[in-house]
Amino acid sequence: MSNRRIHVDYIARAEGDGAFDIVIDNEGVLKKASWQVWEPPRFFEAFMVGRKAEEVPELVQRICGICPHSHHISALRAVERAMDVTVSEQTVLLRELLHYSDWIMSHALHVYYLAAPDFLGYESVIAMTENPDLLPIVKEALKLKRLGNDMIVCLSGQEIQNKTSVIGGFTSLPTLSDLNKMKEQLKKMKDFAYSTVGLANQLASQVPYKDLSRKCEHVALSDPDKYAINDGRFVSTEGLDIGDWEYPQWIMESHIPGCNAKHSVIKGRDSFLTGPLARVNVNFNKLSKDAGKAAGEVGFNPPSFNPFMSIVARAIELVHAIDTSTELIDAIGKPVEEEPKFSYKAGESYAITEAPRGICCHGGKIDKYGVVQKWDIVAPTARNIYNLEKDFREFIPKLLHLSDEELTLKCEVMIRNYDPCQSCATHSLKIRLRREGN
Amino acid sequence: MSKPKLAFFKLSSCAGCQLSVLNIEPVLLDVLGAIDITYFVMAKRSNYHGPYDIGFVEGAVTSPRELEELKNIRRECNLVVAMGTCACFGGIPSIKNFTGMTQRQMEEKVYSELWDIKSIPVQGIDYYIPVDHYLRGCPIDLEEFLTLVKSLLKGVNPHFRFHSVCNECKLNENICLLVNRGKACMGSVTASGCNALCPSLGRECEGCRGPASDCNAESLAKTFSKELGLDKADIVRKFRKYAGNTSEFSKGAGDNE
Repeated sequence: MSNRRIHVDYIARAEGDGAFDIVIDNEGVLKKASWQVWEPPRFFEAFMVGRKAEEVPELVQRICGICPHSHHISALRAVERAMDVTVSEQTVLLRELLHYSDWIMSHALHVYYLAAPDFLGYESVIAMTENPDLLPIVKEALKLKRLGNDMIVCLSGQEIQNKTSVIGGFTSLPTLSDLNKMKEQLKKMKDFAYSTVGLANQLASQVPYKDLSRKCEHVALSDPDKYAINDGRFVSTEGLDIGDWEYPQWIMESHIPGCNAKHSVIKGRDSFLTGPLARVNVNFNKLSKDAGKAAGEVGFNPPSFNPFMSIVARAIELVHAIDTSTELIDAIGKPVEEEPKFSYKAGESYAITEAPRGICCHGGKIDKYGVVQKWDIVAPTARNIYNLEKDFREFIPKLLHLSDEELTLKCEVMIRNYDPCQSCATHSLKIRLRREGN
Repeated sequence: MSKPKLAFFKLSSCAGCQLSVLNIEPVLLDVLGAIDITYFVMAKRSNYHGPYDIGFVEGAVTSPRELEELKNIRRECNLVVAMGTCACFGGIPSIKNFTGMTQRQMEEKVYSELWDIKSIPVQGIDYYIPVDHYLRGCPIDLEEFLTLVKSLLKGVNPHFRFHSVCNECKLNENICLLVNRGKACMGSVTASGCNALCPSLGRECEGCRGPASDCNAESLAKTFSKELGLDKADIVRKFRKYAGNTSEFSKGAGDNE
């Protein structure tokens, strides 16, 4: 008689390397559920020291290939705050448009490439293309993801790492006709994005996902006037409301043996959730009209504490991102050439943006020569790990009747709710499930 | 004839180069018709052991565990491609090799519990194993990726020429950022293939594709110092960023002085 143990060496369709380890004793009691990130450490926080202020946004975007623009914009804002650099309204709008482009790419990638195969019982989106009924959907999904990428290329030169955005503004701007073309493309993909909400809801409504719920603190950036993405106060469903620059005093980290990523709690509180579900819960009334309508049609009632609804929240945000991008293009109008300018000044500051998968915090200290003295990175995936472990402890006991194979798959789905990118834990997946008594 | 088996592996990196492979949306389904992706953890759940025909390796080696994995990859793959600047030269993580700190000091700076952190200086993969082809860039260039795949499918060597970015920049009829605008552009020492992407967007080249075939880094370092007034530390930072491990860029950072 031995433990029942589920062990998966890599979590497929997640970015980076990680593992999880689940042990169930012969009474059917869960003894251990831990997610191990063994993404090798790259020491960003160590080697940022001694680099120049203008290099910070260029370097930190290389933390993560899926949300480079989130790291980039957080770092830009932190550096600009520290050195008292102000940017034009046009730059603020273009950065927002850039970040929404990244959301469109990343959410489309997540819903169709990474999550849908789990729910539909395929090993990958590649396998889905072999089903003639699914092929047209996959083709549309490719177009939606391409839209996000085309927007990013138009604004920043390349899909993945930003080439144009620097302290103080942009070195190169899209033309009015580029932006108008973008608007046409957004219009074309709107219906498909809208239908994604219904599809996501069908996926998440399968047994056992639809009945699971676990209350925890959901945190997101929030702004009284709009759905916050690049700027706003740091707000939670449990009444937290602080300036985003104050995060180092509130988000506490501890390093847990066996895991290269750090565990997070809010000071004086507990683990928390960040990402699309938290954002939709905190900022529901700021969603675009059609995003709100799509949410209503599938019966999404905020706040939802069912982590499996994350995929629906992501789809709702897709609609919102398309609507808001269109509005931003109108607000930008014909882009005006501006020389990005700044001068070095000693200072210390911090900033948060909403990466597709949750809050992305950057900040540090710069001396009067513009040399970085200290840099702090709080990446989204690492924030969620502790909360995910709590999901395991809550839900796995309810799923013990399943075979090891099925239970492993359910655990992977649970992980994928968080859209984890382990590289961005800065500091990846294996599932080990062991049942004692089998 | 059966389709060639491709595998994608990740060492220390941001996964951006793997994601680039998924960013070929318009031709992705065509490419999938010509090859078999048998190992790609980021994209699929069913992954199979080798042998593979072509293995793409993303990322640098930063830990003993990765070194073991890399040796295994070499055994399992007929051709090994270093995919992206981290795999080619060490990339951004290689900055840590030049911080003046020891591994231990760096580990202590970032982590509080050190018992399971094992890191080694960052190297590109050909420091440890023979590599058949290189895709440079941070991230890789999609056209180059497709050219390489098409060439290997036909059984010919891809025709990549690593002359300097300046060549492509001139063909794009850009105004020189270094000479005319006083920006510390690395284009003259950096390998082309990106179609002078950054300089064409008004941004100085940062050297992400590593040294050009006719790289004269010492001369550019002198220009940075004399013409632009950059101090020594600024120049060292320039050459110790994406490809600081290479002997060519080390000369720019003043290793021969």
